[in-house]
Amino acid sequence: MVTKTEETQLNRLESQLEHGGGGAWEYLCLVRKLKVRRSEKVLKHGLSILNDPKKRSSLGHDEWTLYEQVAIAAMDCQSLDVAKDCINVLQKRFPESKRVGGLEGMLLEAKGCWTEAEKAYLSLLEDNPLDQVIHKRRVALAKAQGKVSEAIEFLNKYLEIFMADSDAWRELAEIYISLQMYKQAAFCYEELILSQPTVPLYHLAYADVLYTLGGLENLQAAKKYYSSTIDLTGGKNTRALFGICLCTSAIAQLTKGRNKEDKDSPDLQSLATAALEKEYKHRASGKVPVLASALKSLKVS
Amino acid sequence: MGLGFAIGAFGVLILAHAAYSTIQYRGLLKIMEEEFSGPPMNVVVELLVGLVLCMWAALTVPGKFLSIHPHSDENRIVSLPANMDFMVFNHRGKVFPSAMDLKLKH
Repeated sequence: MVTKTEETQLNRLESQLEHGGGGAWEYLCLVRKLKVRRSEKVLKHGLSILNDPKKRSSLGHDEWTLYEQVAIAAMDCQSLDVAKDCINVLQKRFPESKRVGGLEGMLLEAKGCWTEAEKAYLSLLEDNPLDQVIHKRRVALAKAQGKVSEAIEFLNKYLEIFMADSDAWRELAEIYISLQMYKQAAFCYEELILSQPTVPLYHLAYADVLYTLGGLENLQAAKKYYSSTIDLTGGKNTRALFGICLCTSAIAQLTKGRNKEDKDSPDLQSLATAALEKEYKHRASGKVPVLASALKSLKVS
Repeated sequence: MGLGFAIGAFGVLILAHAAYSTIQYRGLLKIMEEEFSGPPMNVVVELLVGLVLCMWAALTVPGKFLSIHPHSDENRIVSLPANMDFMVFNHRGKVFPSAMDLKLKH
């Protein structure tokens, strides 16, 4: 999870590096800790550390972690030679390691040798059938080949064993959304909210799915989840504020004929619009008229 | 840090002195054969000063307080980590190979 302070720190280190300042190792550590995907920068700065024998030896045991990190980044950037060199170094240092075996499988994936990669993963799973990383790689492999239904099948099997893996639940939800299977995606987000109720982004994603599903009940639930997102973020999530406005107008449209709206809804919407206007005035004053016209079109008289 | 620690130690000393004075006062009362009605003024003052100093040191020395609000900057989650375990390599970046010709030199 990337919090606001960590994000600012990451951006600060990134601009510092870009302007020739130091702090490459701190940046790489932060990237690893936050699990963000900055492959190009990791490759560039990681290699500059690895190619400098003095810096490299000062890392001690972290050197090997850096080799792994750079190898994965290189695969992501399609610099397969670099990746291969890094993996060879790791292979020399840790022969017989399952983790390096997984990296070799990933290299095959990056090359596009799907069947070989699959074989490599299967042989690794034979040795250790409960290796989570390899199971996840198989899912990714299926996804990379475009076999989405196979990926879903693997993920479901995986989740039967490792039910607490929230990353896998999120991946499944995202795959379902890409296939427009919103009901299934909603189930995954429910699972995520249950396991981590304080993460506002899960509430937000669940609300988005419910809003997309439509229907009065879903819309009302979506509004509640947008509200809980606002509650958890202190009103600093613009998407949730827009969501409130959209839900209110959609509910008003559905219940136009019937005159039994719940009382709090107009109130909530005016609060959300006020917050939005304040935010836009503060950060993008040029866009205020656009916002005003957009909000006006949502108002159902 | 050093100052806070010194003040805390001073507070503990004052409390110890207050305890010592109380014992002495009880001894004095026994000799004068009077009833114990309450602690003397200087002990009460010492206790209060000691309490304040110790409390101040205990609140400042161990470190700063962290926010427990879910919407504070330290706690507010702005983005989820990229699902690196499910990373897929045949994305459009493949078509735009990076211009860097980097090499691992050994």
